[in-house]
Amino acid sequence: MSKHFMLMGVIGITFLITGCSEMGVKAWERDVLAQQEMSLINEPVESSLNDHVYFSKEASSGGQGFGGGGCGCN
Amino acid sequence: MVAKPYFLIAATLCCGLLLSVTASASALISADEAKKAPHASQQLPQYQGKPQSLQDVRGDVLLVDFWASWCGPCRESFPWMTEMQAKYKAQGFKVIAINLDQDKQQALDFLKEYSPGFTVLFDNNATMPDRFGVIGMPTSFLVDRKGRIRAVHTGFHQDQLANYESVITQLLAESEGK
Amino acid sequence: MVVKGLEVAVVAVTKTMKKNHELAKVLAAASCALIGSLSTAHAEESWDVDSAFLLYSESDGRVSAAEPVISATKNYDSETRLNVKLVADTLTGASANGATPSDEAQTFTSPSGNGTYTAAVGDQPLDDTFRDTRVALSSNWNAPINRDWAYGVGGYVSKEHDYQSLGVSSSVSRYLNQKNTTLTLGLGAANDTINPEGGVPTGLFQVPESASSSEFAQRDDSESKSIMDAVFGLTQVVNRNTIMQFNYSINTSSGYLTDPYKILSVIDDDSTGNNYGGNYTVNNRNLYLYEKRPDSRLKQSLYWQTKHQFDNNDILDVSYRYMFDDWGITSHTIDAKYRFRFDHQYLEPQLRWYSQSKADFYHRYLDSSAYTEVDFASADYRLGDLDTYTIGLRYGYQFADETEFYTRFSLYHQESSGDDGYGKLTSQELYPGLDAAMLMIGYKF
Repeated sequence: MSKHFMLMGVIGITFLITGCSEMGVKAWERDVLAQQEMSLINEPVESSLNDHVYFSKEASSGGQGFGGGGCGCN
Repeated sequence: MVAKPYFLIAATLCCGLLLSVTASASALISADEAKKAPHASQQLPQYQGKPQSLQDVRGDVLLVDFWASWCGPCRESFPWMTEMQAKYKAQGFKVIAINLDQDKQQALDFLKEYSPGFTVLFDNNATMPDRFGVIGMPTSFLVDRKGRIRAVHTGFHQDQLANYESVITQLLAESEGK
Repeated sequence: MVVKGLEVAVVAVTKTMKKNHELAKVLAAASCALIGSLSTAHAEESWDVDSAFLLYSESDGRVSAAEPVISATKNYDSETRLNVKLVADTLTGASANGATPSDEAQTFTSPSGNGTYTAAVGDQPLDDTFRDTRVALSSNWNAPINRDWAYGVGGYVSKEHDYQSLGVSSSVSRYLNQKNTTLTLGLGAANDTINPEGGVPTGLFQVPESASSSEFAQRDDSESKSIMDAVFGLTQVVNRNTIMQFNYSINTSSGYLTDPYKILSVIDDDSTGNNYGGNYTVNNRNLYLYEKRPDSRLKQSLYWQTKHQFDNNDILDVSYRYMFDDWGITSHTIDAKYRFRFDHQYLEPQLRWYSQSKADFYHRYLDSSAYTEVDFASADYRLGDLDTYTIGLRYGYQFADETEFYTRFSLYHQESSGDDGYGKLTSQELYPGLDAAMLMIGYKF
């Protein structure tokens, strides 16, 4: 069972990364993504306040993302 | 108490990581292996000046820098590029910054604020960066007096300024001799 | 190599968590190292501060909270930053103790054992001794290693009068495909200590009448739990306007996971008697038991988020999370935000829907004929079947000097469900809903 899960995971990730290499933009096309509003967690203070409320009122917590994206300049 | 050695290891690793942002020294590409800068004859509109191509300034050592107004490190590099051009102008060094903003107006607003002490050209349809091989912003190409690319820097890192400058002085020294 | 190093660090940290003093020392050492590396940094840096105040208020005078936050970020360059965040909150009000409402008035022993509180006929039993103040400090450092790799380290500490938490986290990211793809591995470890008022009660033991009972005498002062988590994430730039993230995360908790203040009612299930569905009594006292949860929990979750900017500059942010654990809980969360952007202002409607299925050991009440047979039981509605809805609106105004004022108002609604009991219990409201309003006001400078 867990072996199948692992295998599926590995296949899934390989597929994703292969697929991902087809996507994306050139370095000079990141003007929109460079905007602070386009970062995945663009309002960390609001997110942490909400997470605290939901954490104390529901059985699930965490799992959400972390930063990423941005201008990816250097 | 048993955990103490682990902690030392952990702390050492953390410190190691913190200090590991080191500069990778880049040397000049030898003249034989260097490739000619592409699009050398392509005329581009100039900020506060006549259209120009890279060929028009042949004979000088050029720092061809691709940048955009939305890019933080590009902004940081402007004062440095101004300083470099002022410092080495007499030895035949010139900075040509090629703007890649898709919206030219944003570049113009930016230039008004950060008045550059060097030549700025506009390539707002991004016709040049692909063949130059730009993979980050900014990317700068150091071009010798014969139009060959002798060094490439991706990004602009404060801790590598000395390195950037030494490559420029090396190339200036070399081409003076020839 | 780096990943291996981080693993070692995390293992080391968890091993030592038993000695909080030592962790505190290490945190202090780490901050010194940070400060050391900061002093050599470049001069163009600036602090960006986001300060906010949240007011949270539940209907019917239940919990209300005030929570100020100040988060300061120092940007050394576009990829290197230090964040320090301080949060305080004060809670007052009453929260459900887990017992069922009844056709008779009920009297409960307060957690300390030094008093009682009552619930009138048909009322939800609420423990009104609930008040707390929490202070939490956290810090994060993120920096590139080279063009292809970046890392982050962080730590936090929080303190309430009956709860302490200490944690560390670390992450490494690998950029691929010209930074269009980012793979991230994050690891975290935390150690929490709880020292409940009145000591740690014995799980599934009858709630005693007062602190003079022998059950109080044998209590421990504190318990602890440790938490480890790992996140594997993939961030992908889809096109010039769209970015997407997938995460898989796994989280294990072990130790004392029970809520020491929650109890369960034992209900008389003798259908031939005249107290069928009423509170079961022993020696003329209603029987209430302290809840007890398993001492380990393994949670896993899958998370997907997409952000897209339209040609008119508006931004849509949608996310979905699926979580499942070995307590039998599964949950779905959908969160959506749409930001209308104007010249110096924005307006952002927000919607969130959350639905969970109950834990295997969740029981709204226990049957008198079977309560001695359960290994674990909790009547905490947060472990039951639950749906919640949030609707919110955020507004922001950006000033010419790049500071921003913002405010957000939202309404939160909970709906619980489950079996309706039998006999007299069927006329009681076993699954009351909950409504809360939240107001946040903030300023970024």
